[in-house]
This record gives sequence, structure tokens and C-alpha cells, in this order.
Amino acid sequence: MAASRLLRSVSSNFYTVLPVLKRSALLSPLRLTCNPHYRRTIASSSRLSTALKFTEHHEWIRVEDQETGTVGITHYAQEALGDVVYCGLPEIGTQLSQQDEFGALESVKAASELYSPLTGEVVEVNTLLADKPGLVNKSCYKDGWLMKMTIANPAELDSLMDEAAYERYIRSIEN
Amino acid sequence: MSILKKTLSHVGGCCRSSAQSVRTSSASSSGLFSGDKGLILRSQSTDVYQNLALEDWIDSNVDLQQRSILLLWRNRPAVVIGRHQNPWAECNLSFMRRAGIPLARRRSGGGTVFHDLGNLNLTFFTSKKAYDRQRNLRVITEALQRIRPELDVWATDRFDILLNRHFKISGSASRLGRKSSYHHCTLLYSADRSALTAVLRPSCPGIHSNATPSVPSPVTNLLEHAPTLQLDELLNSVIAKTAPKHDIFFSSSKYSEFNFKAESTLVDPDDESAFPGLGQAAAELRSWEWIFGKTPKFRIQATLKLVDHRAFSHSSGQLQMTIKNGVIESCELDVPADWLPRRLCSEVSSVLVGERFCRHRAAASVATMLRCENSDLQDRLANLCDALVAAMG
Repeated sequence: MAASRLLRSVSSNFYTVLPVLKRSALLSPLRLTCNPHYRRTIASSSRLSTALKFTEHHEWIRVEDQETGTVGITHYAQEALGDVVYCGLPEIGTQLSQQDEFGALESVKAASELYSPLTGEVVEVNTLLADKPGLVNKSCYKDGWLMKMTIANPAELDSLMDEAAYERYIRSIEN
Repeated sequence: MSILKKTLSHVGGCCRSSAQSVRTSSASSSGLFSGDKGLILRSQSTDVYQNLALEDWIDSNVDLQQRSILLLWRNRPAVVIGRHQNPWAECNLSFMRRAGIPLARRRSGGGTVFHDLGNLNLTFFTSKKAYDRQRNLRVITEALQRIRPELDVWATDRFDILLNRHFKISGSASRLGRKSSYHHCTLLYSADRSALTAVLRPSCPGIHSNATPSVPSPVTNLLEHAPTLQLDELLNSVIAKTAPKHDIFFSSSKYSEFNFKAESTLVDPDDESAFPGLGQAAAELRSWEWIFGKTPKFRIQATLKLVDHRAFSHSSGQLQMTIKNGVIESCELDVPADWLPRRLCSEVSSVLVGERFCRHRAAASVATMLRCENSDLQDRLANLCDALVAAMG
């Protein structure tokens, strides 16, 4: 039973993450062919692109502008957790180092710690989750985001996985 | 130094004699967490904060990737709330104060439980990969069925264990960290059920909160259904279940991931040299900031009954407060202006804002204000303050 649950989570995870993957995979070669100078721009700004980056603890971060990122948990994580009934989120202004605990999600009597993907300051938390913690399950990449944080050290983004690496990582966990 | 004692006493002190003793070993502290065999530890302490700190200590200091640990522990009477719960909504704080029953907040999820020496706690520490609550509960149900086959014990999909498909004898909660996890559960053996019923009542009515609510369940004690069952007999059966090589009933490797040693080890969380930092962690768990300050933001709405004993008249007022981090963030008092001037009402409100949501603190700050107020309305003001403090549980 456990095995089938895990398999289901892997396959459904692909559906959610793949469109993001396809989009970025398609865009990059197109730009490269259109404008040879673009290559340098993309390469140098790749850290701060809108693509998702992932931690080994199944958090994602989307860098929206040069300074802040939105953090949430992955589809794989929300499915493994089951129905989230409470989101313990940090205070605005909390200073976090990469990998610091920043809160916990509660589901079926389990408290799962959350770990900061980067070093920075919490600038916003998703207040909708107070009344609707289930958004983390229903819309983990969009409406169920957890917090927004400043990016104090952009180089740390390099230590995170991109979509393809994260998928490989999930497959390795399963195996 | 030794954190272990060669003793045959029961988990967390002794409350019941037994003909059959639990096998206990002795080892040096430095060697305790080395080796690849799983460990069964029994805490000598019956202090709820020390035992909860011991759990956290093991979770953060022991490499649980290669080996698992089962910790057995009991507490003197205590109420333990889940990580994201509201103590004012979950337990009767004034009864607990009178009875000297401490309140603790654990780091795991789930609902509120009452502990005493008649309740056995079992904590399964594993890697996150090996986290499996149903397997852990099977260890308990099969251990029980092995010694009392007539008992109908059954683990539910909410990780409770029911007796006769109705009465709860065990509740669960768990915490998942970076790489490790722990799952702890209670097991009601001979707990004081009247105390349990008395403490698990809300302190204040009218609380509006998103905190995790408890799910009340009918409970029973094992001893009420198996009068000859001894605690040590139960412990030995659990130990036998997790050390399959030594169990003639389970020579197969059904629980092989545990691979526990066939004997348990007594540990003393009070021994700072064996568990460095544990005392500080226990002190943090005892602090107001952790127990009450970590309460999810909530709102309280109450109707205050106002009485003027001198004038033999009465009225009523409305109270609305928001409480964040256990501190009163806003306070609105709606009292008829002909009962008490608005100026005095807003003065009471402003005295309370920024104060802990704690009846002693609130009583102290309004008392200071009362001393400064020399009007002929002092009785009505004092009565309003009493009603306010009473609404805080």
C-alpha cells in the first residue's frame, strides 16, 4: 500500500512539475538561436530566473525579482503529508539562514519541520493559510505558497536543485 | 560516568510491583549510542519536561540513519498539548493549578493528552525513510495480543489504538525533521480517568482559533479489561516484538529494521554529562514563552455579567480580545455608558493591551489601575475587572 502511494506521488508529481520544465527547456534554446548575445544574459541571470529551485527537504523557491523569492512545498511533499490542518509560519522580519527551521506543517497528527531554502529575511507570509491550510494540498505551487523572503546571498541558489535534478532526486528516494 | 544503573525498577520509577522483571543492561554513556543495533531505552525520569527534552535530544544528537531507538517513559500527572494547540481551549488550567498538574507543549502535532504513572509512553525514533506509524502501532497491538489474545486491539487510520473497536487506549503524534523522525504514543494502562476527564475541559468559552483542535474520544485502561496484566509483562512483550531474533514467536524478520537489542537500558535525562544541553532544553520547554507564547493567534468573545452589590443592580458587557504569541494584542470592552463611563472602560482596555493573556498578570495590572481610581464607581470598576479576569480562564 505504501509502495503504491509513493508511486502515485511520483507520477502525479511529474504532471505538475513537467509543464514548468517544458516551458523553460523550450524557451532557452529558442532565445539562444534568435540572439547569440542572449546566451551570456541567460547564463549570468539563470540564478535569478523565474524557474523553481528545490531543496532536498522538498521546499521550492521561485525567484520573482532580483531581491525576493516565494517559498512553498512540492507536490511530492504535500502528497506525502496528507491533509494539512495547520501551517505554522514565521513572523515577518525573521532572519533566516539557509537550512534554518522556519515553521512546521501539521497533518494527521504529524508536525513536519520546514527548512529555509536560502539566507534572508521573511517579508511576507501567506495569510490565507490561517483559514485555509488545505491550499497547501490543493495548490502547492500557486495559492498554497508559504512565505516570501529576501535573497541575501544569490549564490546560494546554485546549491539548490533545478526541476530535472529534483525529479532525479525523488526517483532516487523511491529506489 | 555511567548513565545507566543495574536495576530492575520499572520505567520512570516504580509504582507497581511485578513478579517478572524487565531485563536491563548497563553500559557507558559514550558507548551507548555506538554500534549498529537498535536500542530500547527506559527513562528514569517522571518529569514531563525532562522526558520531552530527552526525545528532542535523541532526535538531534543520535544518528538514526543506521539504527532505530525505542524510548519508554512515564510521567507524573501532566497535561501535554500538541505543537499547534491552544491551551485555554484544550484544558482546564485553573483545575490544573489547584491540583498542581503541570502543562507541557510538545513539538509533535496532534491533540491534548493526560499523562500519569498509569500511562506508558512509547517513542519510536527512526530515519525519515523508515518512518512508519502503522508498523509501530502493530508492535504494540501484537505485543498485547501475544500476552492477552482475548483482547480486541485495533489500530485506526488516525493512528489511535482502540479496544473493543470503541475505547481508545492509545493516541499518537509525530515529528518529522531533516532526516530523522519520531512517533510517540500513549498507552493507557491504569491512568486516573477521573483526573483525565477533569483536566481535558476548556478553560475559557468563546475562543475562536485556527489552532489544531483535539478530537475527544471515550477512553479506557488496559487494566480494566485485563486485570492480571502487569506493566513489566507488557514491556517485556513489546521488547520481544522488536528484537525478533530472540522472539520464538517471531523468528522471521518482520520487524527487522528495528533489530533491537533484547534488553533495555535505563537512562537518566538529569545526567548532564550523558546528555549535554538537555537541562537547558527542558528549561525552555518549561517556559511561559514556549507553553503559552507559542499558541496560534486567537480571538476571545465573552459576555461579562456586571453586578453592583451596593445598588442591587446588574448589567452586561461584551468583551473581544485578540491574542498573539500569548499576549493581548487588542481589547475591546463594550459596557453601557450609563453603567460605567467610556473613559474608564477604555482605560481598562489599554491597561490590558500588551499584557500576557494570563489571569494573574491581568489581575495585577488592573489592580494597579484600581488603586489609582478614586471615584465612587470603584465598585463597578472592580466588578468589571473581576469579570474580565474570570473570562481569561
